[in-house]
Amino acid sequence: MSEAMSSLVALGPQACLAAGLFCALASGMMIKLPASFYRALVVFVLICAAVLAALGAPQSLPPLGRVDGIGISWQFLFYLGAVPYALSLTDDEVPAALFLGSVLGMALLAVASNLLMLFIGLEFMSLPVYLLVSRGGGGTEHSEEAAVKYFFAGGVAGSLFLLGLALYYAATHSLALVSSQGALAEAGVALMGAAALFKVGAVPLHFWLPDAYEAASPELSGFMSTSLKAAGFLLLMRLIALAPGSAFAASLPALGALTAVYGAVSALRQQSLQRLLAYSSIAHAGYLILGVGAWAAQGALPIGASAIFFYLAAYLFMSNGAFAFLAVSGARTRADLKGYGAAEPLKAAMFGALLLALAGIPPTAGFLAKLLIFWEAVKAGLYWPLAGASLGALLSLGYYLGLIQDMFFEEAGAPLKASKGAGSSVIWACALPAAVLGLAPWLVASLSGVLK
Amino acid sequence: MKLLTILWALPAAGGLLALLSGRKSREVSLFVAILALIASALPFKDLSALSSLAETGPSWPIGISYSLGLDGLTLGLCALTAFLTIVSLLGSWKQDLSTGFWASFLFLESALMGVFLARDLFFFYIFWEASLIPMFFIIGIWGSDGRKHAAVKFFLFTFFGSLFLLVGLLALITQRYNVTGIWTWDMAQLHGGASGPAALATFAALIVGFGVKVPIVPLHTWLPDAHTEAPAAGSIMLAGLMLKMGVYGILRIAIPAFPELSRSLLPWLGGIAAVNVIYGALCAMAQSDLKRLVAYSSIAHLGFCLLGIFSGTVEGITGGSLQLINHGLTTGALFLMVGFLYERSHRRGLSDFGELAGRAPWLTFFFGFSVFSSIGLPGLNGFVGEFMSLAGMTRALPTLALVGVAGVTLAAAYLLPAYQAVFWGAAGPSSVSSHVDDLDFRERALLWTLSGLMLAIGLFPGPWLRLVAGGLQ
Repeated sequence: MSEAMSSLVALGPQACLAAGLFCALASGMMIKLPASFYRALVVFVLICAAVLAALGAPQSLPPLGRVDGIGISWQFLFYLGAVPYALSLTDDEVPAALFLGSVLGMALLAVASNLLMLFIGLEFMSLPVYLLVSRGGGGTEHSEEAAVKYFFAGGVAGSLFLLGLALYYAATHSLALVSSQGALAEAGVALMGAAALFKVGAVPLHFWLPDAYEAASPELSGFMSTSLKAAGFLLLMRLIALAPGSAFAASLPALGALTAVYGAVSALRQQSLQRLLAYSSIAHAGYLILGVGAWAAQGALPIGASAIFFYLAAYLFMSNGAFAFLAVSGARTRADLKGYGAAEPLKAAMFGALLLALAGIPPTAGFLAKLLIFWEAVKAGLYWPLAGASLGALLSLGYYLGLIQDMFFEEAGAPLKASKGAGSSVIWACALPAAVLGLAPWLVASLSGVLK
Repeated sequence: MKLLTILWALPAAGGLLALLSGRKSREVSLFVAILALIASALPFKDLSALSSLAETGPSWPIGISYSLGLDGLTLGLCALTAFLTIVSLLGSWKQDLSTGFWASFLFLESALMGVFLARDLFFFYIFWEASLIPMFFIIGIWGSDGRKHAAVKFFLFTFFGSLFLLVGLLALITQRYNVTGIWTWDMAQLHGGASGPAALATFAALIVGFGVKVPIVPLHTWLPDAHTEAPAAGSIMLAGLMLKMGVYGILRIAIPAFPELSRSLLPWLGGIAAVNVIYGALCAMAQSDLKRLVAYSSIAHLGFCLLGIFSGTVEGITGGSLQLINHGLTTGALFLMVGFLYERSHRRGLSDFGELAGRAPWLTFFFGFSVFSSIGLPGLNGFVGEFMSLAGMTRALPTLALVGVAGVTLAAAYLLPAYQAVFWGAAGPSSVSSHVDDLDFRERALLWTLSGLMLAIGLFPGPWLRLVAGGLQ
């Protein structure tokens, strides 16, 4: 096989997504097809991309690309996390194409070995989401406002990244992802890292997030909190690997603890469920940032990334399931949930299991995820940030248990208008793994083999 | 499938079955609970071969392995769990309760069995935490007026402790890794850690983690609310078994992991236990609610267990361990009877009754029996456990043993007046004694069994002491 052919095979998932994107746009221009066609197309493309990613072997594709274990495994997070939103598409080709474009951006990010390529992936995955948010469908009327806010925040993040990139280039005279020391290079990494922190919603760069998650449709919020966030963390990890000993990397654990506590405290005060889950996703980002910090403190070796990967994988089920529940049940505020346990015991039990998983109670997946992150923090000797994160976990019980309390301990309120669609099966498909994956520590053991 | 796996998996499967069986869930739950009791009785056949029942799965690279073990103390606590589950189910038999109630008790039983059987810290912690979920629902859905507040308070407090426990466990295995270069979560391989500042911090985290569950004063404030607001059956499980998890954890994990530290910290640890004894007793004296009084008495009694265990002597540890089982029986019986009173009259206040002795002689008899067991009357079970705990402490630190003896006296000072006011004293104007009928056959049968066990342990303590001491060498 020629060299060009082999690199094309290595980039199979990206090619597949691009072909799907083209297909959606082209068919939309020519004839009017039902929404079910686009749903099927997008899901099919996602599955194909995942299969192709699984077939790919680690290799270098100079000068812009590199396929490695982390890149491959993160692509699964992107594609799997995107499925629930794909199943909820109800419109013409526009959202389908935008959505595939965003996933393509993530896929490019996963195989980038060059700062410029990272930037392209970052922007490619972000831009379509601003437009998707502006289409609304969530718990507020202000979707345009939220989208504009999100867009400007994203613009700032992009400029920070470019500025950092320039500094890094000035220090190293190269755009390749090669680690480097020196104040200038570290400053560059810090600025680029700030852009990644924007994307994952770290305090104090989170201000856009609750509005965007509340304005978007619940399924889109699910997508943003899982796939998009996983991509943000991949970006952060790629950057940290450039300078694991830098002051920026050393500040991450404290930042993570702060984010976890802030997210939990803010979520306690929310009445809108989508906003509550948005703040909860900020809190979860906090644990992940702590995990990234612990990973960096131990030298940022690929094999140490399994805790972060497992957390993202567990969160993928928990968050997508919780947002799918909001979509299916029609519940918008906490008051809507009162007495839901008596009216719909099965769905309430599923949501309850998801909430316990989000809270990190054994034997759920959320517990094992938190345990692994905490373990990494103990290994790295980060006891104070760990205490902060524990406080966040304790505070978060206030709202997760509060929702369970609303559903099961309160008298019934007015019945909700439930919506139809694939949502119920999504809840099932998310709640079951979220509930029992904590009993499978061997999974983690095998993961660390993949992430070599 | 192996027996020990069955011990925890059977109730869990039974809980699912009960959820699915609708109206028959009550009968299904009882049937499964009886099967579990039979299963937990099987190892009694040959007490010398307990360790051969241990199950050890393959060890995964991160050092976690599915391993269960059995010794005398574990067996005693497992049998107590199976027994008290049946008592709880039968105690609520006549109440009109939904499917989830009966299933919750089986899930709780499963988690408790797992806690006592686990020999791997990962699975220990899983079961430890999983026990919170059914109890949260039992208190929150089927409790009395303040149930919502009490359920959340219970969960938050114990989860707060669990975080300390988790960090402590992680620090423990990491410290061991730094010495040996091997990751292991196996309890047996984590024994005998050194002392030093890091070890002290880890030990303290473990003690706080377990101490919230015991509960150690001042981490106890969740207990009165949770016990009072829970349904009677829930209080039986809470006081009879869930508090034991804390002491069991200290005995099984914290002390063996840091033997030198726990010896050198004896005055502090014993002091905590003595404070528990006195504080619990004084609080119990101040209560006007019968259920709350019994709840506070648990704090005092668990203080005795701790006194024995922290003493580090054979008598003390054996007595403290036996006292775990004693307290489960005695307090289980007391909560059961308070529940019977509440079921009949919807009151629990000390001044709401009076002159019950004539109306309900059986209830009076059994309540008196349990009160005397709780006080530690010689010939009943409480005496054996408390005596040996205090004897152990006398050898280690006589001053603290004296404080404990004062606690025994205080127990009489809060239980007897309460007993007198409810059953023998004059009925006040607001008395609801006329609503209280005597016990029926089912209730008498339950209490005969409980009282019989109390008497058996009190008169023939030898075999029981040998049983719990078997695993403590």
